[in-house]
Amino acid sequence: MATPKFKVGAFQARGGVDQGGLPVLRQYLRLIVIFLTVVLGFMSRPAFPAGDAEKGEEIYAQRCTLCHGEEGDGMGPAAERLNPPPRDFTMAQYKIRTTAFEEIVPVDSDLVRMIHDGMPSTAMPGWGDVLTEQDINDLVAFLKTLAGLEEEEPGQVIDYGAQVPISPESIETGRKLFHQDDRCSECHGQAGKGDAVKKLKDDSGYRTWPRNLTKPWTFRGSNDPRDIFTRITTGIAGTQMPSFDDPASDGRLSIEQRWNIANYVNSLAKTEKIVRPENTVIRATRLAGPVPVTPDDPQWQEAPSSTFLLVPQLIAAERFFTPSNDTITVRALYNQDEIGFHVEWDDRTRSIPGDRAAKKVSEPGLGEDAVAIQLPVKIPTGPEKPYFLHGDSRHPVNLWSWRSGSTTEDPSVALVTARGIADKIVRDASTVGLQGRGSYHEGTWQVVLRRPLTTVGSAEDLQFVEGAFIPVAFSAWDGSNGERGSAHTLTTWYWLLLKPEPGNKPWLFAGFAFVLILLLEIWWARTAMRRVRS
Amino acid sequence: MPKIPRLAQLVLVIGGIYAGFWLIFDLLLGQPIPASLMRMYMFFVVTGVLMVFTATEESTRQLVDPIRALVEEPGRRLMRNVVFFVVPGLAAVAVFLQMQPSDEAPLELRSIHPAPPSSAKIFGKRYDLMSLENPYRHLEKDDPEQFRELVTDGGEVYIRNCQYCHGDKLDGKGPYAQGLNPVPLNFQDIGTIAQLQESFLFWRIATGGPGLPKEATPWISSMPAWQEFLSEEQIWQVILYLYDYTGHQPRSWGHE
Repeated sequence: MATPKFKVGAFQARGGVDQGGLPVLRQYLRLIVIFLTVVLGFMSRPAFPAGDAEKGEEIYAQRCTLCHGEEGDGMGPAAERLNPPPRDFTMAQYKIRTTAFEEIVPVDSDLVRMIHDGMPSTAMPGWGDVLTEQDINDLVAFLKTLAGLEEEEPGQVIDYGAQVPISPESIETGRKLFHQDDRCSECHGQAGKGDAVKKLKDDSGYRTWPRNLTKPWTFRGSNDPRDIFTRITTGIAGTQMPSFDDPASDGRLSIEQRWNIANYVNSLAKTEKIVRPENTVIRATRLAGPVPVTPDDPQWQEAPSSTFLLVPQLIAAERFFTPSNDTITVRALYNQDEIGFHVEWDDRTRSIPGDRAAKKVSEPGLGEDAVAIQLPVKIPTGPEKPYFLHGDSRHPVNLWSWRSGSTTEDPSVALVTARGIADKIVRDASTVGLQGRGSYHEGTWQVVLRRPLTTVGSAEDLQFVEGAFIPVAFSAWDGSNGERGSAHTLTTWYWLLLKPEPGNKPWLFAGFAFVLILLLEIWWARTAMRRVRS
Repeated sequence: MPKIPRLAQLVLVIGGIYAGFWLIFDLLLGQPIPASLMRMYMFFVVTGVLMVFTATEESTRQLVDPIRALVEEPGRRLMRNVVFFVVPGLAAVAVFLQMQPSDEAPLELRSIHPAPPSSAKIFGKRYDLMSLENPYRHLEKDDPEQFRELVTDGGEVYIRNCQYCHGDKLDGKGPYAQGLNPVPLNFQDIGTIAQLQESFLFWRIATGGPGLPKEATPWISSMPAWQEFLSEEQIWQVILYLYDYTGHQPRSWGHE
């Protein structure tokens, strides 16, 4: 048996948030710590300590029941407000495990790992900082009793064969296997964003979503090729992710083929969509020519991008607990007359009310997809800003919104002046020249919203100024996920900066400083020499 | 070992402290100090180090002598001219960089635990926060069984409402914590609820972000005003849970 595994990878942080610093050096530091832990671990403890189920039950009662329920059936008081729902331990379905498809019993280290590290992008935290190794072993022993597995021998760990190293050839072979007969793309989509339109359910009847493979920081295991190989080989218990090593299936793949697919999946990561906490400013780039009109204009890619976390609206009634959108990526371009925002977010479903295919994959009550950019009506002069949730009575905000349309209505742009989530006045977007256009491609929405920098005769609209830090926030709605009205995701305030050209002032001042200091030095040297001589 | 000249020592100490800041905050913690704050810190560091290095006349002399020698000794003329050219050059570069328009986010300072008002209107009633106490706290001694039940009820309130931000482990690292600014409070930290009275928590939970005074930047706090969603009893129960789970004791006036 092995000690608890640590994930060593670039994408282990929760929610894909990069913790900053120098990644390479930090990884080395981490490796050294892990190495020492392992070495010391082996020196101090020759055998893997057995868990005590009775002690484990006490820990379970203290730490786990609120989500997983007193009976271990996943029906704790938190359950109905969590997505994905807490695991039902009575079913013996462990998603992240290393034992073969036909085996029911996992090895203990599979369970240890999930408790120790937690599951990224879910409400399950890693408990390694709170529970000791012995605590976790006790807990594992108790969890097995919930499924009646305490007397069972651990299952056989899968055969990893010879790992195929990552190479362009292996990735290309894996790409072909991924798409061949729609093997993986049937659910995970052509671009791997989990957007292929099929409504999936797990064995308990809960809706499940195929993983967006371009965001490996949301993988419950890691995106290490070995972990991906394991998922492909074992399948994911209780879900529609099958095993590709099932002897009874004609879809069985060889070990080498599975390694190639793992390497391809590993290569899909879109690292520019990792959230970087220090990146709080959207720097709008100044153009000489016009601001591009269409979302797929390559000029947008020249502007620096910022990605922000979207969180569900948990603050005001009606509160919303089960979001599907998780991040939004923003770029901005401007010229002497107007400014354009390019917002982009992964959404598995293109929600078109009235469309039969869209209705099929939607939760009840299909609505439009939508996005909104929030800006203060007046640029704050002090620290005080409008309340970040759609403004307040003394500090109104502008919401520039774009909606995806239905089978009978075209996509639309709206201008709203809001003084709080419940006080919104919808205005005609064309009076201020607000325009927008959106496009949906392979699981990603891209929307452009443009407006002149200044508007005439309106005290209700923001007037953009170069060089000022302007608060900006975003909201998004997934119409297939029941998101409408106050049920949506949003960001907190970030900053927009229209960075002006510095001009020649810095040169002038630098030259002035040089001459001034040089003159002072000469004067100092002269007086000093005179004193020495006398 | 040759003695390091005092001037070089001075430069090494200041440079070392700066490098230390960088090593700890940027590299190890991954949380760089904002530049404006760093300038303030380094101002104090430079002032402090200069005071130490010029504490006695002897030490001042050791510091100043090499500089004076450079200017006054005719034999060092070439060296002097080089230094006299490099120094204004560096200053010019610094001025040039300083004059570039900044694209660093403005620093937002806020008070994390603002002073509570003496009284507050909550649930349509006026509460005197100075004398307000948790009506269930006495059960900890008087009726431990009922107390445990109330803690359990508080746990249910917490997991259904608070864990999204403050986390399962009450460590401020809930699933959505990183999308918020300011980040949710870490109740395990000795500097949070362990330093506060239960009446303060009651006020903060019931009135939430919108109930904060200006110095605590109510416009960015994502704490809901829980009086809109929870009952008075539920708020007191969840307060019991926060202290019970973390093992901290609430502060009290200690009048017993």
